[in-house]
This record gives sequence, structure tokens and C-alpha cells, in this order.
Amino acid sequence: MAEKIKLYDTSKCTGCRACQLACKQWNALPAGQTYNAGTYQNPPDLQSNTWMLIRFQEMSNGNGDVKWLFRKDACMHCTDAACIKVCPSGALFRTKYGSVALDRDKCIGCKECISACPFDVPRYDPVTDKIAKCDLCFSRIDRGMEPACVKACPTGALSFGDKDEMIARAHARVKELGGDANVYGDQFVGGTHMLYVLTEKPDVYDELPERPRVPLTVIAWKDWFKPLTLLAAGGVLAGSFIHYLTHGPKDTSGDDQAGGEGGE
Amino acid sequence: MIPKKGMIKSTDAFERLVHWWLAITCIILILTGLGMMFHSFNFLGTPLGGLKNLKLVHNFTGLLFAPALFFAILIWWREAGVFKMPEDLEWIKVAGGYLWHVDDVPETGKYNPGQKAFFLAVAIFGILMVASGLIMWFPLSLPSGLVQWMYPLHALGMLVIFPFVLVHIYLGTIGVPGSARAIFTGYVTRSWAEKQCPGWLKEMEEEGRLEIYGEEKEEAAHG
Repeated sequence: MAEKIKLYDTSKCTGCRACQLACKQWNALPAGQTYNAGTYQNPPDLQSNTWMLIRFQEMSNGNGDVKWLFRKDACMHCTDAACIKVCPSGALFRTKYGSVALDRDKCIGCKECISACPFDVPRYDPVTDKIAKCDLCFSRIDRGMEPACVKACPTGALSFGDKDEMIARAHARVKELGGDANVYGDQFVGGTHMLYVLTEKPDVYDELPERPRVPLTVIAWKDWFKPLTLLAAGGVLAGSFIHYLTHGPKDTSGDDQAGGEGGE
Repeated sequence: MIPKKGMIKSTDAFERLVHWWLAITCIILILTGLGMMFHSFNFLGTPLGGLKNLKLVHNFTGLLFAPALFFAILIWWREAGVFKMPEDLEWIKVAGGYLWHVDDVPETGKYNPGQKAFFLAVAIFGILMVASGLIMWFPLSLPSGLVQWMYPLHALGMLVIFPFVLVHIYLGTIGVPGSARAIFTGYVTRSWAEKQCPGWLKEMEEEGRLEIYGEEKEEAAHG
């Protein structure tokens, strides 16, 4: 099965949030109480019941004009997914489509994925004591459908298809747009399965890491200390056994009465 | 393992109690920790009704481990927490005679440098385990930049403590016969004490503080 990519073209996004609503609908996520934070961005951030969100950002172009930037924020579905690396129960897993899905039954609510994620995506739900995030509509794509957000998009800003085709399409679009336009996602964390065509440089966007990567803390923890523990424990067990056979136990017996029966 | 006449008292009841309190909580923590560290050990959660319960057992056992560690440090830091130079260095140079044949192993006090290293590893990394573990329990209430470092720190503690515990169990049982009774009954044979803690034995005898099974304590004290 070929890997799939969801492509999001910011130049075609009108911020209508049909995708945000479709996500809520398909995944049966109720809306929560919200508040006016002085922006159309609503709710203010990702939540355990808001797996994707259109971020609204006002950018001055220097001539007193304001430009509106939209960004669809949700799980990027990294190939080198730090969340899968740290998940102790295997609740977070890679699907055959390359996306990162969640088996809710297995989630133990340890929150280890939260600080591991370079995109700050997973959210904790204290009511269910579980984590929640976009799973690229695994229930849909596994039945040959496109994700709900893609289905709902009226402008063509969202598309879904085979990995190579989507990457090629993104680069072609960037070429067409020119200027600061760029492809975001295929150059780091092994390549993401949500790809952006950004009209501005990545550092212009709020909450978007310029060079996302698996944190060093996760690498030290899972790639160094974890295998070393197994190696050290195994080495010590084998070493003790060999020590017993070759060097032998220490002779702590003596010829005095009390110590006469020395050994075990 | 009932003590015999003439055996020497090496530990008191409180020391033995704290040892086993620390040992049992530590082993539970290691096993439940392994259950969450490796997917291949996830099955360790099954008898507890799932990995979520395993996590709870791990966290609450950690709360029981902390006071045991506190008492352990209080009891043993004087005897096992300070290296005595130069004799300890000489002992380290010959690995205490544990790895190759050594004619004259430098005399040690109650605990040899290997045991001191174990004590220090458990004390230092034990404190770090409790601190990092507590933060990992409530990660959302602290800045993620700090929380991130607690996980590799916790894993480093496991890397140090787990293999050291295995060495400790080996040397406390079949590796050095006669040792285990020190932590079960508290009484060891004189020949064991002469080989394992000669310095301590001499000191206790000189000060007349040695307690011998089957003899009145006062007798030694007055003698």
C-alpha cells in the first residue's frame, strides 16, 4: 500500500473552516465553551476535542495593509514520529499509509507524547484519561475515502493522494507561486504526511517550528539509554554467571567453630 | 538460617527492615518500569489488569520507595557513603580481588568501595528517580522544556541502578556465600566478617561493642 499525503495549500485557503467542522463531525467531537479572544481563530488552540484548527494570523505588509494568513494546524504525521517512539503502550502507531494513528483503548494517559511532539499536537483529555489527536481519518482512508477535512474543502486548498504525486504537486505549485512560497514538511522528521504549501517563509507563521526534529531528549532516552540498559543488564547477568564458573564464589569459610558451616 | 552461638551481629532490625522495604519497592519499580519501557514487556501489565494499572502501581510504589530511600541514606551514608583514601583506592586498583587472584587485598571497614559505589548510585540516582518521576506524573503543570529532560534522566537512572542491583543480588547470595544472613537474621559468621569487613571487626572488638550470639553483650563491654 502506497503512503498517502494530505496536501494543504495556504494560497488557496479562505479560512472558511469547513475542514474544522468536518473533522468535528466525522470524529463526533462536541464543541466546548469558548470565548472571544479578539480573533476569528476559534477555539484559541488545539484541544482534546479539537484535533484540527485553522489558525488566523494578521500580517502587516509594511504599507499599512494587513494580510490574513491561514494555517491548518493538526498532526503532521511525521515519518520519524517522536510520539510513536516514546509511547509505552503502543497506542500510537504507524499505519500502512504512513500516517500516525491512535488506538485509544491502549492509551494509558501517561502524556509522554505531549512533550515529545515537535509540533505540540497531542492533547490530554482528563475525563477519559487519554490522549487525542488527528489520525488522518484512518477510519475513512482505510476504506478508500479521503479524510473528512479534504472532502469538505470547497476551494481545493486540501488534497489527498499518493505520497510521490502529492510531493510533486506541492513543488509544482510553489514554482507557480514564486516569491517566498515554499514546501513545508518533506525535508524534516523523515518527511511528514501532511504537507504545506506556504506562501510565506515558515518563520512568519505563529506556532510553526522552523526546523522541527525529534527532540534530543527523546533520542537520548530511547536510542541511547534504553538499548544500553538492556545491554548492561544482560552483560551483568552473563558476567555474573561466567564469574561464578571461572573465578568462583568467594571463600568466606574459616576453621573457627561458628563459621564451620560457611557456605549456603 | 537460625544464628549459631559465636556468630557476630552485623545489622540491627531497623537496618534490615529498611533494606527490604527499599529492595522490594525497588524490584517492583524495576519490573513495572520494564513493562512500560519495552513493548515486549507490556505483558507484565496483564496480571494487574492492563498497562494503566501497571503505571499506577509504578507511581504509588515510587511514593513508598521515597521514604525507604530517605531512611537508607540516613542509616548508611556514614559507613557506605564516604570513600576512605588511600586504602579504598588500593582496593579499587585490585578490584577487591573479585576479578583476578590477589594475594593481599587491602582491608576494608564495614563496606568495601564496591558496596560504597552501589550505595552512592542508589542514593544519588534514587533521589533523581523520585524527583523526575514525580514531574513525569504531572507533566502538564510544568514547562515542557523542563519536563522533556525528566524522561532521559529517569532512563539514565534505570541504566545505572538496574545492572547494579543485579550485581548486588549476585554478590549478596551465591557470589559471596554467607552474606545473605547479614540481612535476614543480622548475624554473620566470624570468618565471614574477617574476610568481608576486617577493619570494622577489629574496631568493634577494640571498642568492646561487638555483639556475639549466645553471649551477654555486657560481658564483651566489660571485658
